[in-house]
Amino acid sequence: MATFELYRRSTIGMCLTETLDEMVSSSTLSPELAIQVLVQFDKSMTEALESQVKSKVSIKGHLHTYRFCDNVWTFILQDALFKNEDSQENVGRVKIVACDSKLLSQ
Amino acid sequence: MASFTTSSVYIHVIEDVINKVRDEFIKSGGAGEAVLNELQGIWEMKMLQAGVILGPIDRSSGQNQPSTVSAITPVHDLNVPYEGTEEYETPTADMLFPPTPLQTPVPTPFPGSADGSMYNIPTGSSDYPTPGNDSGSNTDVKGGRPSPHMQPPSPWPNQRTPLSVDVNVAYVEGREEVDRATSHQPLTQDFFMMSSGKRKREDFAAQYQNGGYIPQQDGSGDSTSEVTKAEGSKGGNFLDRRDSATTAKTKAFAHLARSSTKIPQLDGPIPDPYDDMLSTPNIYNYQGVVNEDYNVVNTPAPNDLQAATPAPVPQNDTGDDDDDEPLNEDDDDDEDDLDDVDQGEELNTQHLVLAQFDKVTRTKSRWKCTLKDGIMHINNKDVLFNKATGEFDF
Repeated sequence: MATFELYRRSTIGMCLTETLDEMVSSSTLSPELAIQVLVQFDKSMTEALESQVKSKVSIKGHLHTYRFCDNVWTFILQDALFKNEDSQENVGRVKIVACDSKLLSQ
Repeated sequence: MASFTTSSVYIHVIEDVINKVRDEFIKSGGAGEAVLNELQGIWEMKMLQAGVILGPIDRSSGQNQPSTVSAITPVHDLNVPYEGTEEYETPTADMLFPPTPLQTPVPTPFPGSADGSMYNIPTGSSDYPTPGNDSGSNTDVKGGRPSPHMQPPSPWPNQRTPLSVDVNVAYVEGREEVDRATSHQPLTQDFFMMSSGKRKREDFAAQYQNGGYIPQQDGSGDSTSEVTKAEGSKGGNFLDRRDSATTAKTKAFAHLARSSTKIPQLDGPIPDPYDDMLSTPNIYNYQGVVNEDYNVVNTPAPNDLQAATPAPVPQNDTGDDDDDEPLNEDDDDDEDDLDDVDQGEELNTQHLVLAQFDKVTRTKSRWKCTLKDGIMHINNKDVLFNKATGEFDF
């Protein structure tokens, strides 16, 4: 199954990466094993988002920058408004990074 | 609610990852399950500190014992070793947890406990108090949610907080020690360099001269060479006095040592200095062992204050090269650390959405996109979504 490394930049991914870094640098863990853990994280995170998350969000805002490179869209929004079922958040500046979902199904 | 589901999804992901890499850890002469448990512990601790997972972690999926009791009791276990034997007896009795005494003597919580059930003990306990330090939301949840945790020992809560701090400290210190152990040599070296960069180059040169002189002077003694070092340009004269027979050679080698251009010419006849020449750069670049020599030479450095004059230019260059590498490494490390901190702060403050796109369209300046399976980090909260629609004007 193909996976994105995209989610490694999320909080949970960063926490894992930091942990692995520390353990590798202290020789507790081999780099190869650390990579395997990260790859597994890619899979598990993707699966969890597909199977466990049901919420919908709408995003509105002023598009400051858009970029499409290597099948990755990057948007930088200004004064963005995020709405989901029970709350909404205003953000002065937000970056959206999105990989092509079709790449996963291939 | 959103954050709550986020928390549960995160916990699920953590457990899923841990469970699915367990085979890799156990087989292949790998790190072993204890390391895996440590990984999970640190990971969860970081998540708690980041405030993206909440409260004590429910082990519903139960890679360990499914009973909630086991999840609770461990809290005491962890505290026990820290508090000392007196405290430890009480909780043990309360817990009806026979294996506990075995664990208790283990000084450090993590490395000692090998299997998953034991491991979760520290996780639970360390996680549990942590939220109190970090964010109010976690504390609230903690208070509201886990009645079982609150119940058992009223005396414990007081002790837990400091204990948990100890856990973290123990972690960090332990890790740092390991780091130091691995990179001890460079550190020491850097220290010397930073304290006396100039001197060191001279030492270096002096040492180098030693290498050049050695074939001739070794018999007479190290003191000679040290004097040479110390007196620098006068050294040549001094040597002349002591060893009239080799005067000519000595001078030649003094020049030799100072000008790299002459070295290749004279090296041929005398193998030792040539070898030194060849080996020196390699040694300094790649081997830690010689770094010790380096430092040893450095240690008497204060005596070499006078030697400031003689340091030969070409040798300074080589010295610089060698100096620069470790110094730069160190600098990089520092910068990296700072960068990490910066990034960490940025990540906490920066709003980021990570997702997959199904479709992105544009009509004039109006952009529409549909995203799915996203993680949003907005206003210090993590929110997950299954689908998202975006409408942006450019």
